[in-house]
Amino acid sequence: MTALRATVVGAGGLGGPLALALGRAGLELAIVDHDQVELSNLHRQIQFTSVDLGQPKAMRLAGVVVARGGVARGLVTRWTPANADELGGDADVVIDASDDPVTKFAVADWAVARGRCYVIASALRYGGNVMAGAPGAACFRCLFEDPAVDAPSCADAGVLGPVVGAIGGVAAAVAIALARGDRALAGALLAFEDLRRSPDPRIVRFAPRPGCPACAAAPISPTAAPVRVAEVP
Amino acid sequence: MPSVRVPTVLRPLTGGASDVDVPATTVRDALADLDRRHPGFAAKVLANGEVKPFIRIFVGENDIGELSGLDTPIGARDEVSIVPAIAGGRDLPDRMDPARA
Repeated sequence: MTALRATVVGAGGLGGPLALALGRAGLELAIVDHDQVELSNLHRQIQFTSVDLGQPKAMRLAGVVVARGGVARGLVTRWTPANADELGGDADVVIDASDDPVTKFAVADWAVARGRCYVIASALRYGGNVMAGAPGAACFRCLFEDPAVDAPSCADAGVLGPVVGAIGGVAAAVAIALARGDRALAGALLAFEDLRRSPDPRIVRFAPRPGCPACAAAPISPTAAPVRVAEVP
Repeated sequence: MPSVRVPTVLRPLTGGASDVDVPATTVRDALADLDRRHPGFAAKVLANGEVKPFIRIFVGENDIGELSGLDTPIGARDEVSIVPAIAGGRDLPDRMDPARA
């Protein structure tokens, strides 16, 4: 049986637990990150140790996945529209675990245009968001039209270390479901407001946005053929 | 009285409050009330009188974009949720930093 394939964009706090979970689940991974391991990363990017300092995150995370019996390759670069086909071309699902709004939109737009399943994960302070996308469903750009230009500062707001592990785990579960053809959460946002108080997400289902430029480039138009999603118990 | 669920990134403006009761009958009024009590709040959510493109507002489970926008009526039991796009964060100031351990 052919293994499912996933491209993980971001090898940091979210990408680490995400890749480890996907690798253990048997997915073949391409891990994309241009950055290097820094000392300040270690408390929340638990896939790394002090031995990894200065090394490319993508390569080191791929190495950790392989050391645990998985199949992974690291790609030391940024995800951009120019190299997206190369980085995600053979993936059954692409997961954004970066901390960059522009990259999140680039991943989502590419996935919509290529008719791929995708997950956009993010974490901030004590909570986070996980959005599941699939052909025919409302897309990330339907929900948030453009990258934030003056949003409340994510970099300044910080994130609690264990939160990225939890959100990364949820993103992995959603990615596996999508890759296996389970579209129950396609076109939905799981919003975890404060994991210290509740592990339960608010599940926000949203409709395709008329005039969405990403959907206009999709092989399956959400407005022409709205996806029928199953109810989540 | 309706309440507004404040996202974590805006809670510094509300003194840390996550839920704020608002004497309002529309979403627009609710934001205006919040801005009166917490100056600067509306500017984080609105631009040129419209909801910023990276923010969605819900009344209960319903996106106001599919209702009447900012003029969507709200009742005493309604909860208004503000959901911003977020990317990621660096360490919290009170992190367990190995460099300080």
